[in-house]
Amino acid sequence: MSLPSLPSAPLGDLRGSAARWRRRHLLDRAMRWGLPLALLVVLFPLFDMIYWIAVRALPTFTWATLTTDQVGLGGGLYAMIVGSFTLLALATGFAAAVGIAAGMYTAEYAPPSIARWARVAGNLLAGIPAIVLGYFGYYALVLYTHWGYTTLAGGITLGVFMVPFVYRTADLAFANVPSEQREAALAMGARPGQYLVRVALPIALPAILSGVFLAMAIGLGETAPLLYTAGWSSTPVAGLFQPTSFLTGAIWNFYDYPSTEGSFQALAFQAAFLLLILVIGLNVVVQAVAERYRRRTRGMMA
Amino acid sequence: MDEPISPGDRPAMGRSPGISEPAPPAAPSAPVRAPSLRRWLASPLALAPLILLGLVVAVLAIASEGQYFGLSFWGPVWEFIPTDPAGSTYGIALFALGTAITAGIALILASGLSLAIAIALTTYLPPRTGRILTTLTDLLAGIPSVVYGIWGFVVLAPYFASTVEPNLRNALGWLPGFGGPESAIGGGTGLLLGIFILTLMVIPLTTAVMRESLRSVPRDVVEAGLALGATPWEVVRRVRLRVARRGLWGAVFLGFGRAIGESVALAMVLGNTIQYPPSIYGGSYTIASFIFTQLDSAFFYPELLRALVEFALVILLITIAFNLLGQRAVSGVRTRTVPGAGGRA
Amino acid sequence: MTGPEPGPVGPEPILSVRHLSVRAPNRTILDDVSLDFCDREVAAIIGPSGCGKTTLVRSLNRMTEVAPGVRIEGSVRYRGEEIYDPRVNPVLVRQRIGMVFQRPVPFPLSIYENVAFGLRLQGIEEAEVDRTVRRSLEQAGLWKELDGDVERSGLTLSGGQQQRLCIARALAVKPRVLLLDEPAASLDPTATQRIEELIFDLRKEYAVIIVTHNMQQAARIANRTAFLYQGRLIEYSDTHQLFENPREKLTESYVTGRFG
Repeated sequence: MSLPSLPSAPLGDLRGSAARWRRRHLLDRAMRWGLPLALLVVLFPLFDMIYWIAVRALPTFTWATLTTDQVGLGGGLYAMIVGSFTLLALATGFAAAVGIAAGMYTAEYAPPSIARWARVAGNLLAGIPAIVLGYFGYYALVLYTHWGYTTLAGGITLGVFMVPFVYRTADLAFANVPSEQREAALAMGARPGQYLVRVALPIALPAILSGVFLAMAIGLGETAPLLYTAGWSSTPVAGLFQPTSFLTGAIWNFYDYPSTEGSFQALAFQAAFLLLILVIGLNVVVQAVAERYRRRTRGMMA
Repeated sequence: MDEPISPGDRPAMGRSPGISEPAPPAAPSAPVRAPSLRRWLASPLALAPLILLGLVVAVLAIASEGQYFGLSFWGPVWEFIPTDPAGSTYGIALFALGTAITAGIALILASGLSLAIAIALTTYLPPRTGRILTTLTDLLAGIPSVVYGIWGFVVLAPYFASTVEPNLRNALGWLPGFGGPESAIGGGTGLLLGIFILTLMVIPLTTAVMRESLRSVPRDVVEAGLALGATPWEVVRRVRLRVARRGLWGAVFLGFGRAIGESVALAMVLGNTIQYPPSIYGGSYTIASFIFTQLDSAFFYPELLRALVEFALVILLITIAFNLLGQRAVSGVRTRTVPGAGGRA
Repeated sequence: MTGPEPGPVGPEPILSVRHLSVRAPNRTILDDVSLDFCDREVAAIIGPSGCGKTTLVRSLNRMTEVAPGVRIEGSVRYRGEEIYDPRVNPVLVRQRIGMVFQRPVPFPLSIYENVAFGLRLQGIEEAEVDRTVRRSLEQAGLWKELDGDVERSGLTLSGGQQQRLCIARALAVKPRVLLLDEPAASLDPTATQRIEELIFDLRKEYAVIIVTHNMQQAARIANRTAFLYQGRLIEYSDTHQLFENPREKLTESYVTGRFG
């Protein structure tokens, strides 16, 4: 805010002692330069992590890594990639359907008291530990249904995990549709359903999409909801009622193999590297979409 | 851009979504009046989150069959493979201890660092720099747990074993828990590494909540402090922290909810040992990391499965309690950079 | 309350502003403003909203720079010393030139601690803090009104009382100049009158500079009045003259209510 000043500089007619002013001033300076160091303490490990994952993964990372099956101790991530995206597609479908519908009803239809409870529950749902959801999926979708480990069970469990993230953005996106839009539409004789589909949805859609992408970024990186629901398979997913492998599972299964023994650990690092890229990429998309939405609504408010 | 913070907030990278930017959630406009039948059909949809939450609790409660609640549940011993299924005791104590140590210490460290970061961002750093740095710290939230885990296990553990832990033992050996014989230091996995990783994982959440709590302090209150001749630091300490107190505590509660639920990363770096940890270098288990690693072996032992499900139920209920506390505390605070946090509690 | 006499122009102004310009990234908020403020006088700054009144007073104790992105040029001298001298710490400026804002903002502390806030920072000893708090509350007319009950939270007071608490808090630091940015804007007429009486008393000891959009208020309490329009100082003169016989056409049309 200003250049350093000497306690004896102009305006020196102080109340209180000069020594005290000096202490106050130095303490402020110390905080100004010291507190941002906490950012370094946090950011250094982040860069260290990205660096080491890249260093371990890149030497053996080739196109074949993405396109071949795991064979013995080596091979590629093809089955895991296909599995991850199949699971993610199922989960996104589930989460988007439930989350958007619930968000729309919470924002547009629900009486305030119900809406309040729904929002609290949405926040709590987002806070459930992933492994607890894994147990839920295992008990409800693997044991109780007698399906065994299946892609479908994994997808649904992951979907439940992702619901609150979609739900909360959808709720907010609908609530943020300017009320003039609603009044104008209804004044022109639109039925509520028409208003929702033709007016509110297009306005809210970019924000909802950013919520969906965010949920996907989070879902893609989860392990705990899948391990005991989707099972594992070294070949690409064969059907909804067959087990499947997935990228995070590759890391969990192979991380503690000695790095000298074949390339199991290398496979784990390649999966980690791929996940990092996908997750960062999805987050960039989230931001871009959100940015566009922000501009649009801002223009509308003006 | 106004989103209240809630437990599951995962700051994505970036100053994000402006899902928020648009105006303060439109003044609650009169809800659209739908025909009553459709309204009636709609309420289950609006309540989907509540229904899902109830379903999870109910399924776990049924699965646990409630039969292990009682003294033996808290017994100190975990019999890995019960020799006498009917009489086995499955004690949660050692795992609860592991959870308390890792989550507790990680939360203290994360809260301190987050507070420092939040103050730096809201008071000292120029907005543009702050935005870039916020994007980067939020990046931490986007990184999958398993990636933290493999980095911790493969990269950090050897370094902890060879450098960090011996030095720490030399420097702080007089402190209980930090000393012990040389053999106390093993392969690097253990409480210390677990706490380190968990701290990093909790920081994005606590930072986001604290940052927005401090930011929500009205500007004129801050300016009033400055106008009275307080230094920026004095304004932080005497005004900002006091006004934002509730939100800051909320961050701690939400952070605790996050910390006790983490399973995968800790299962990879905590050394997975059922023991009373002899020192900070020793291996341990948390409730969450234990149930994460054990479910497959429980397949053949229904009693074991029930006990594990009860463990899951315990952390679920604790998480819900802390998230409720946290949500209450931050209910006035609105966050802008935490995407996905839509609900207005 | 009768209209104030214009005070004699002191030999040396307590604050003198020269060629002060304040620019935000895409517009000029204040454009080359020069004027002097005298000790033991009330000066009012009037003008339509957005004319830069608030920015002008905020620039007098270096509060403008709290907002990022503004550029400040020109000079402000406090008793001959340049407050924008790079060696001067703004904190020291603000100890001498106090400020009260539009919205009353008590800290979430007791009334006593609100007033003692600035004193505690300076490490003033307890007995003097006690005396100063009491005296400041008396000056602000709060001591009697509260019957000495100063341990309750400052937030429990009414709006007008809160604003007088903020004035007492600013006075406790013993500034020489008191800047008031529309101090009565959010108050009802009775509370406004109390504030005006208070300001009238304050000029016995301080230089008071008050921003107001209420011309009657300026006429009632100010010795001198400055009229600002679109960031420029149009006219600055004796209050009577400005309102009854303005030199500038623009001033005339403003004070006669033709715009604004």
